[in-house]
Amino acid sequence: MPLAAATSLANPQPKNHTRTKQTSIGRKKFNMDPKKGIEYLLEHGLLQATADDVAAFLYKGEGLNKTAIGDYLGERSDFNEKVLRAFVDLHDFTDLILVQALRQFLWSFRLPGEAQKIDRMMECFAQRYCQLNPNIFTNTDTCYVLSFAIIMLNTSLHNPSVKDKPTVEQFISMNRGINNGGDLPRELLESLYESIKTEPFKIPEDDGNDLMHTFFNPDKEGWLWKQGGRYKSWKRRWFILNDNCLYYFEYTTDKEPRGIIPLENIEVREAADRHTSKPHCFELYAAAGTDFIKACKTDSEGKVVEGKHTVYRMSAATSEEKDEWIKCLRQSISHNPFYDMLAARKKKAQKTNAHHHHHHHSQHHNARS
Amino acid sequence: MGLTISSVLTRLFGKKQMRILMVGLDSAGKTTILYKLKLGEIVTTIPTIGFNVETVEYKNICFTVWDVGGQNKIRPLWRHYFQNTQGLIFVVDSSDRERMDEAAKELQYMMQEDELRDAVVLIFANKQDLPNAMTTSELTDKLGLNQIRNNNWYIQATCATQGNGLYEGLDWLSNELAK
Repeated sequence: MPLAAATSLANPQPKNHTRTKQTSIGRKKFNMDPKKGIEYLLEHGLLQATADDVAAFLYKGEGLNKTAIGDYLGERSDFNEKVLRAFVDLHDFTDLILVQALRQFLWSFRLPGEAQKIDRMMECFAQRYCQLNPNIFTNTDTCYVLSFAIIMLNTSLHNPSVKDKPTVEQFISMNRGINNGGDLPRELLESLYESIKTEPFKIPEDDGNDLMHTFFNPDKEGWLWKQGGRYKSWKRRWFILNDNCLYYFEYTTDKEPRGIIPLENIEVREAADRHTSKPHCFELYAAAGTDFIKACKTDSEGKVVEGKHTVYRMSAATSEEKDEWIKCLRQSISHNPFYDMLAARKKKAQKTNAHHHHHHHSQHHNARS
Repeated sequence: MGLTISSVLTRLFGKKQMRILMVGLDSAGKTTILYKLKLGEIVTTIPTIGFNVETVEYKNICFTVWDVGGQNKIRPLWRHYFQNTQGLIFVVDSSDRERMDEAAKELQYMMQEDELRDAVVLIFANKQDLPNAMTTSELTDKLGLNQIRNNNWYIQATCATQGNGLYEGLDWLSNELAK
């Protein structure tokens, strides 16, 4: 279709690319603040505003932090509780013994530590478990209270803050009467106790390092020479530009960057070769109103420290490479209007000062401009 | 061999242990309180799946604070834990007027538990920094504290995010325990 062809020509970035990008931003936002992340994904049409769709996204969990998933599922609000129910319904616990089902369930997110949240989660879990395994418990509440008791047991046995560890007899007496007023079989409780004692619930691992996803699909990457801040020596670094941040690494295979420069309120310019000892240079410098570039890096001892650059100077291998970097960086730099306001205010303050001290000069200047 | 005087003394007298249950509605600020109390101590916690539990050492007393709660159906489980409980911390969001009745009911439930009849009750009137926060005397009335017959109780204004009032509360608890 000619129209579609024209649109795709006009827009150099294919639509899929933008969506991938936005999804990755959404995931990152989710990991920092689950509620905001979901809002972002809804706003950009990457998720539908249904409990089922959000639940499927969390269950798939690609690039998501499991603590963030747990925080979202534990939130006390109608929608979040619906998502929790839909999330639990995506699990298949058919023919699993209770403790195995719990282990599987608690691997899919990090269980929050608040009693009320654990309560809601265990209630949903028990409903699903009993639905899939109808002949094990006489009623769902028994399963729910027992599941809650298992979480208490795991806490008591394995949290170092709990000094008096319960015995199997204590666990059995704690569960008296939870089966519709009657007791559960002793063997069942004994085997649960043994299972938890020998194998605590595992802390679920996140789906890949959050940064890994950042580096997977960069806007631009490549080798550059970077001049040091204090010592003006040049070091070869692998640079990755993505999501308004510039990362640099010692080796291409490094998982953790040596430094991160957020591309906020900074500008990029070409640097004249005669000022530097290397060819094809460009510089990142603090925008008007800011004194130094906000950035961080790992020092020689592995500690993360704030960067002290007012200017970052980089050298590319060729003139084309340099132009390409400058173009990509310009596209990535975001502007925070707050700094403009600050800069304007600073200027005004300086002007007022100047006005007081050099009245005549200032007037002259104004007349000219 | 190798026993120092202080270790002998500790053996003789030991550190007093105090088991505390912490209850209150969702978002009253329990988790914040727990971790604010813990602040400043060397934390070498191995993460564990389960309830928030922290030990806090203060004035030579070792407080173990459990976040408990949940619906009535799981109360039978807590009974077991109530047996050795010397103290109850009840946290209330002083600014949440809508849920004050619910909070009062929750506290009343707790006070009816036979196993808690000897426990001392500390009420943290939390979120005092919020503009709509009720004063402790308003809360005393709304929570029906004067109707508590068997237990010694004390209400302390707190702002957990700033850490205000928390140690004053622990002071009261440790004095009560020393009695």
